[in-house]
Amino acid sequence: MKEEGIELIKDGKRLDGRGFEELRPMKIEVGVLKRADGSCYFEMGNNKALAAVYGPREMHPRHLQNAKTAVVNYRYNMAPFSVDERKRPGPDRRSVEISKVSREAIEPVILKEHYPKTAIDIYVELLQSDAGTRTAGINAASVALADAGIPMRDLVSSVAVGKIEGEVVLDLNAAEDNHGDADMPLAMVTRTGTITMLQMDGRLTKDEFERGLKLATNACREIYELQRTALIEKYSESIGGGEE
Amino acid sequence: MYKVVVPGDFISEEVARAGDGTYVEDGKVYAMKYGIVHDKGEIKVVALTGKYVPTNGDIVIGKIIEISFPYWIVDIASPYEARLHTSEFARGTERRMDFGSMSNYLDLGDLIVAKVLNVDALMRVDLALRDDFRIGDQGRLVEILHTKVPRVIGRSGSMIKMLKEKCNCFIFIAKNGRIWIKGREENMNLALQAVLMIDNEAHTSGLTDRVAHFLDQSCKKKREENGE
Amino acid sequence: MGIEVMEDIRKDYVYDLIESGKRVDGRGFRDYREISVERDIIIKAEGSALVRLGDTSVLVGVKLDIGEPFSDTPNKGVLMTNTELRPGASPDFETGPPNENSVELARVVDRGIRGSEAIDLEKLCIEEGEKVWMTFIDIHALDNDGNLMDAAALGAIASLLNTRIPNERYGLTGEDTLSIRDTPVAVTMVKIGENILVDPNLHEENAATSRLTVISNADGTVSGMQKSGREGLKEEEIVEMVEIGIEKAGEIREKYLGDK
Repeated sequence: MKEEGIELIKDGKRLDGRGFEELRPMKIEVGVLKRADGSCYFEMGNNKALAAVYGPREMHPRHLQNAKTAVVNYRYNMAPFSVDERKRPGPDRRSVEISKVSREAIEPVILKEHYPKTAIDIYVELLQSDAGTRTAGINAASVALADAGIPMRDLVSSVAVGKIEGEVVLDLNAAEDNHGDADMPLAMVTRTGTITMLQMDGRLTKDEFERGLKLATNACREIYELQRTALIEKYSESIGGGEE
Repeated sequence: MYKVVVPGDFISEEVARAGDGTYVEDGKVYAMKYGIVHDKGEIKVVALTGKYVPTNGDIVIGKIIEISFPYWIVDIASPYEARLHTSEFARGTERRMDFGSMSNYLDLGDLIVAKVLNVDALMRVDLALRDDFRIGDQGRLVEILHTKVPRVIGRSGSMIKMLKEKCNCFIFIAKNGRIWIKGREENMNLALQAVLMIDNEAHTSGLTDRVAHFLDQSCKKKREENGE
Repeated sequence: MGIEVMEDIRKDYVYDLIESGKRVDGRGFRDYREISVERDIIIKAEGSALVRLGDTSVLVGVKLDIGEPFSDTPNKGVLMTNTELRPGASPDFETGPPNENSVELARVVDRGIRGSEAIDLEKLCIEEGEKVWMTFIDIHALDNDGNLMDAAALGAIASLLNTRIPNERYGLTGEDTLSIRDTPVAVTMVKIGENILVDPNLHEENAATSRLTVISNADGTVSGMQKSGREGLKEEEIVEMVEIGIEKAGEIREKYLGDK
C-alpha cells in the first residue's frame, strides 16, 4: 500500500491544498434521468456518481419475491473509462462486495414493508473515479430513492477517512488512498447517529480509529445538509417564490 | 404556504394526527416521503412521486396483459397487477365462460375502466367492471404520475370542469394516473397540452387560472388561424 | 413457506434467551466456542490449516507459484485470497460463481493480512519486474455453523505461519519459509437486541441485526474492519466492539498462534 517517493503533506496542507479535515467540493443534481423513477447525479471531488432508482416494481423471478416486504437490490458499477487504467466492463469481486455493503448501508432506512412482493432496484454508475466512489454512490443513491418517492425513515450520508503520513484525514482522493496507510469508508443516518456502513483497511491504532470515526460522522452531517438542501430546492423551483 | 420535507424531517409532536406519508417514533411525527406537508386535520406528506398502490374503491383504467383462466390479468400502472374474474363479466347472465371464449369478451391489449373490489394481505388485487367499462379505440389514453391526479381534478373538481368546457372534450381521469380523452382531433390535442402543463407545474399556485388562460389563448389563436 | 416460519420461530427463541442473559449453547457473551487449529494437514499444499470453531470448520490451503508481478509493484510478490463456500457445507450454499458473501469473506480476510503487512512481499521477489512468488490463499468452508469469517482468518494466518517456499520445484534456491511479520486475528461480534455477542453460531448469525468484524495485530493496532447486517450500530457500540475485538484477538493469538 505504501510507496516511496511521494509527499502527501506539504507545509501542513494536502496535495490538493485541503486541510486535514476538509471535504472535497461537492455538487448534487436531483431528478436528472427521464426513464428512472428517481435519480441523482453527485460529484465528490473528481468522483462522478449517477444513481438511478427503479421501483417499487414487479419482482422477477417470482420465487425470489418476499411476501412481506420489497426486495432491495443495489448494483455498483464502474464505467471502463472512469479510471486511469481501463477497467474491464462487468462485475468483478470488488463491485460485488461494494454492492453488498452499499445495499446494507441504505436498506435499514427503507420502509420495505410498504411494498411487499416488489423489487426496488438501485443502479449506481461511477462515470469518473477518484477514491471514495462507494461513498459518493451511497450519497447519490439516498437522494435518488427520495426522488423516486420510496418511503424512508431518513437519508443516509457517507464519507471516507484515512491516514496519510501519520495524520488522520478526511475524504481521501486516489493518490492519498493509494499511498496512504489506512482507508475507512463509513455511512451514517444523521438524525439518529446510527452507522450503517463501516469498513477499514490499512493500519490504525485504536486512538486513530476513534479520531477518524469522529471526523467521519461530523462530515456526514455536513453532507446530509447538502443532500437535504438539493431536494428542498428542487421542489421550491416549481413552487412560485421559494417557500419553506 | 407549502412546506417541503425530506424523509426524516421532524414535523410535529401531535402523534394522534399522524397520517399518510409520515411515521411516528418516540412521540414525534416524521416525514416518510419527499413531498409537501399538509397540516389540516391529518398531518400528511403528499409525495410528488411514487408508485400507485391500489386501495379498495379506487376507479382505475387497466389494460389486459394476460389471459389466465378464470382470470384476466390486468396492468393498472402499479407494481401490483390486478385480476378480473370471469364471473365479474358474466354477472347477472347465464353466460358461462371457458378459457377459449375469454378472448371473445376481453382480449389482450383491451382497455377497461374498473373498480378495485379488494386488495388482500398478499397484494392480490381484484377488480370489478363498471357498466360502461369498455374503452374502445376512440380517443386517447394518457398516463401521468398518479400523484398528480388530484391536481388535474382540482379543488371540488374545478380544474377538470374547466378543461372539459374549454377543450370541448370528454375527459375521464382514473385514480391510477391514466386519463381517457375523447373528442375531435384538435380538441384532444388541446386537452393533452393542458394536462401536460398541469403535470409539469402540479405544485405551483394559481395553476387553474394559468391553464385557463393558456386554453383561452390557444382557442383564440385557432380562431384567428381559421380566419374567424 | 413452511421453512421460513420455522426459522422465524428459531429467531425468537434465540432472541428471548439472549435477553435473559443466556446463549443457546450456554456460553458467556464474550466467549468463543471451542477452537482447534491443525496445521500442515494437506501435504500437497505449501501451507495449510484446519480450523474448527465449535461445529464450524474451515480448511485453508496456501499454494505458491511463480508469476509476473503487478506493473505498479515490480519488486513485490502477489497475494490472492479466494473463498469457496462449498455446497456440502450448508443447505444454503449453491454451486456456481462466488456469491456476495463468499466474495466478502475472501476480501476481508485478504485485507486483514495485507493491512498488517504480515507477509513480507518484497522477500518474494525473484527477479524484479519479471518473476515473483504468488501466494494463493484458498479458503474452503467445510461446515457452516456460523462465523466462517473468524475461522477462515485464523486458518489463513495459521497456514501462512508454516508455509514452505517450494524452491526445488523450480530449481531455485532461497528462503525456505514465508517471512511472516505479524499475526492478524479476526474477531466477529453480532448485535442481538441490545446485546453484543462474540463468535456467533449459525442461529445467532441469523437472529443478529448487525455484525462487525475487527481484525487486529500483535501490537493492538487494527488492520481491518467490516460491518454487515440489515441494521446500523451506534458510535459507542462500535468503539466498544473494537476494544473487545483487540482483547479477544490477543487471547486467541496467544493460545493458537503462540508457538510461531
